[in-house]
Amino acid sequence: MSEHVDRSGWARARRYLGFRNISAIYIFVVIFAVFAIRIPSTFLASTTWRTLLDNQVITGITAIALIIPLAAGVFNLAIGLQVGAGSMFVAWLLVSHGVSIPAALAVTALSGILIGLISGWLIVKVRIDSFIATLGVSSLLAAFITGISGGEQILGVPDSYANFGVGNFGGITYSFVILMALALIVWYLLERTPSGRRVYATGGNIEAARLAGVNTTKVIFGSLVACGLLAAIAGMLVTARLGNADPTIGPSYLVPAFTAAFLGSTQFRGGRFNVWGTVLSVYVLAAGVKGLQLSGAPVWIPDVFNGASLLVAVGMAKYQGPSGDYYSIRRILRMRVRSVPSLEDGDG
Amino acid sequence: MTSALLDARNISKTFPGVKALDDVSLMVHAGEILALVGHNGSGKSTLVKVLAGIYQEDSGTVATPGGSVRRGNRDGLHFIHQDLGLIPTLTTIENIDLGRSLGARAILPSAIRAERKHARALIEQFGADFDVGVLVSKLTPAERTIVAIARALDGWTTSDNVLVLDEPTAALQGAEVGKLFAAVRRVASAGAGIVIISHRLDEVVELADRVVVLRDGRVVGDHPRGEFDRASLVRLIAGQIGDDARELAEAGVPGAVRLGVLGIASPQLRDVDLEVRAGEIVGVTGLRGSGMEQLAGAIFGAVPTEAGRVQVDGLAVRPGSPAHAIKAGMGYVPSDRRRFGAIVSMSAKENLTLPRLASLRGRMGQIDPSAEKAEADRWLDHVGVRPSRAGDRSFGLFSGGNQQKIVIAKWLRNAPRVLLLEEPTQGVDVAAQASIHDLIARIAAGGAAVLVSSTDTKELVTLCHRVLVLHEGRVVSTLAGRELTESALVRATIDSPATPGSGRE
Repeated sequence: MSEHVDRSGWARARRYLGFRNISAIYIFVVIFAVFAIRIPSTFLASTTWRTLLDNQVITGITAIALIIPLAAGVFNLAIGLQVGAGSMFVAWLLVSHGVSIPAALAVTALSGILIGLISGWLIVKVRIDSFIATLGVSSLLAAFITGISGGEQILGVPDSYANFGVGNFGGITYSFVILMALALIVWYLLERTPSGRRVYATGGNIEAARLAGVNTTKVIFGSLVACGLLAAIAGMLVTARLGNADPTIGPSYLVPAFTAAFLGSTQFRGGRFNVWGTVLSVYVLAAGVKGLQLSGAPVWIPDVFNGASLLVAVGMAKYQGPSGDYYSIRRILRMRVRSVPSLEDGDG
Repeated sequence: MTSALLDARNISKTFPGVKALDDVSLMVHAGEILALVGHNGSGKSTLVKVLAGIYQEDSGTVATPGGSVRRGNRDGLHFIHQDLGLIPTLTTIENIDLGRSLGARAILPSAIRAERKHARALIEQFGADFDVGVLVSKLTPAERTIVAIARALDGWTTSDNVLVLDEPTAALQGAEVGKLFAAVRRVASAGAGIVIISHRLDEVVELADRVVVLRDGRVVGDHPRGEFDRASLVRLIAGQIGDDARELAEAGVPGAVRLGVLGIASPQLRDVDLEVRAGEIVGVTGLRGSGMEQLAGAIFGAVPTEAGRVQVDGLAVRPGSPAHAIKAGMGYVPSDRRRFGAIVSMSAKENLTLPRLASLRGRMGQIDPSAEKAEADRWLDHVGVRPSRAGDRSFGLFSGGNQQKIVIAKWLRNAPRVLLLEEPTQGVDVAAQASIHDLIARIAAGGAAVLVSSTDTKELVTLCHRVLVLHEGRVVSTLAGRELTESALVRATIDSPATPGSGRE
C-alpha cells in the first residue's frame, strides 16, 4: 500500500486530533491542569489515581454493556437494576443457599442472559418500544431484588469470593483487569467483526439494514443478551467488592452509564457508540468529580457534574452529524438544497 | 374578464438542465372549476409550487385580486395536498380548531359546544353529514378530504379565494368521488375558484368547466367545457413526445426465465404475474396508487404480501424475507434511498459490503480492513463514484447520483441474478442519469434479469425491452418493440379504463 502523504493526510490528522473528535481528552487535560495547580498534594497523589481507576470499574462495565443495545438502536433503561439484580442474586445464591462459587457465577450469568432475552422478546415480538419495555423490566427487577432480599442487605459473602473483589497484581486490581478485558472483547466484536457491523447497521437504519439482508431480530436479541450478560458480570463484581449485596445499589449506575455512553459516542468514531470513547468518558467524568470532591465541593456536586455532562454530551452529538465532522450537517443541508428541484420535480 | 381570482402570466422556471415551466399562463375566475392535467414531468407540480410560493419563478407574475403577490405570502390561495395534512388521532372538531389563531384564549378551556357547532356548520356547507366528534382516522377518505377543505375554507371572509386540490381523488372510490365533487361544486358556486389536479380523465370531463393541459413545461391546450373529451385529452397529454427510434434496449436476445412471479397480491397489488428473462430489462409503470410503487418491494419481500409465489431460476423464494431473497440472488434498489436504500450514517464502504461480509473475513472471524477497502474501492470505481477512493466517507455526504451508484454497486458486488430497481434515477442529475442507465444495461447484458419500476416514461423507453402498465393493482397492458414509445406509454397509463365503484371493495 503506497499511502501518498498529501493534503488529505494533514486534513485527516487534524480531524483525528480536533476538539470534536477527542474533546474528552482536551477536557481531561483542563480538569487535570486546574486541579493539579489548585490541590496538587491530594490530586496528584498516586493513591488518588489508583483508587480512581478501581472505583470506576463497575460504572465502566455497565456503560460498555449499555452501548451494545444503544449501537443497535435500542434503549435499555433497565441497565442499572440489571446490575443490582446480578449483585443481589449472586449473594442470595452464595449466602442464603450455600451454592458453590462457580455454580453461583454460572447461574447468575444465565440469569443476565435471560433478562436480555425477555427484553428482546418484549421489544421484537410484542413490539413494545424499547424505552417502555425496559422501563417495565426495570420495575420487575426492582421487585425481584426486594423479593429475594426482603429489602435488606445480604451479608456474609464467602471470604474467597470477597477477596477477589479487592485483590490485585502489583497495584492493578483484578476488577480493573476485568474491565479492560471486557472492553477489549466488546471493542473487537463491535468494530472488527461482521456481527458488530450488523449491530451498527441496525442502529443506523433498521429498515435499510433489513433490506440489505441483516437479520435485525437476531441483532436486537443478541445485543440485549450481551448487555444482560455484562450487566450480570458487573453485578457479581459489585458483590465481591463490597463483600455484601445492597438492594438499593442498582439505580445509581443508570445515569453515569448513559452519560459515559453518550459522551463516548462523540469521541473517536464521529457519533457512533464505541467502547474506548465510553471508557475514556467514564474516567474523565470520574476525574472531574474526584477533583471537585478533593477541593471540598458539597456532596451533591457529583450528580450535578454527571447530569450536566449527559446533557452537554447529547447536545453535542445532536449537532455533530453523521461523519463526525462539525460541518457535515451543514454540508448535507447544502447538498439537499441543491438537489431539491430534481428530487421534487419527479411527479410534475 | 375582470373577475380573475388568480392570474398567473408567462411563468418560466428552469432547474439545472431542465426547463420545468416555459411561459405558462393560467387564469382562474370566480365560480370556475379548472382542471390542470399533464403527465409526470409535465410541470404540474412545479407550477403548483410556484403558485404556493415554494419555488420562486424565474420570470412572470402571479396576481390575485389583492394585487401582485409576494413570495411566500399568497393570500387568497389555499392548497390541499394529497396527504391532506390532517392529524388522524384528533377529531374533525379538533382538526378544524387547530387552524385558528388563539391569541390570549390559548390557555382558556376550549369552548367545546361552540366548536362542535362551528365544525358541524362547516361540514354541512358541503352537503356532508358525519359525526364531527369522531377521530379523523375513522372517517372515509372523501370525508377526510372534506374536513381538509372545510379547514382551508374556515375563516374565509370573502369568497374571492382559490382552492387548489392536488389529486384529491387518488384515494377515493366510486360513491366517495361523487360526495367530494358535490362539495367542490358547492365551493365553486359560492364564488370561489377551484384548481383541481387529476390523472383521472373521466372525472376531469365530468367536473371541469375548463381544462388546461401541460406537456414538457408548456401549456398545450386550454379549453372550455364542451370543447374537450376524454380522447382529445389523451392526445394532448401524450403528444408525440420522444417517438424517435430506440437504441439502447434492442441489443441481445433474452435467455431463459430468471425471475418468475405468480399471482402476487398485496394491499395495492392484485394477482400480478410476470416473467423476466436473463438479459432482459422489464419496466413497470402506472399512476400513483396503481400498485407500481409496491411491485418491486413485494417481489423482494420488503413489502408484506398476501399471496403469490416468487421464483429465481425456478427455485422458490420465501416470501417476506429480504435475507432469503438476497441468498436467492436478488438485489433491490428502493426509491427512497435515505429511508430504505442505505444507512446514511455509515460510510460508503460499510454500506457497500453489508449484504455480504462473509467473504471479507480474516482468520479470527474479523473483517479484514485492507481487503474491505480494496474491494470497496474497486466497486465504487466500477460504477464511477466520484470522488474516487472515498469509501470511508459517510454515505450522506455523497451527491444523489453518487449515492444511487453506491446502492447499485452494493448489489452488483453480489453478482445478482435478479435486480429490482425503483425510480433508479430519481433525484439524480442528467450526467449521472446517463451513466446509471448505462450501468443497468450492462448488468442485463451480463445475464441478469432486471425489473425497473419508474414513472419516467423517457427512462422506460430508453432502457426497457418491455414495459408493463399497472392499473388498480393489475397489469392492464404490455408494450414492447415498435409499440414501446413514450406517447404510447403515457396513453396506456392515463387511458386505462376508469372504473369508479368497481374493484376495491
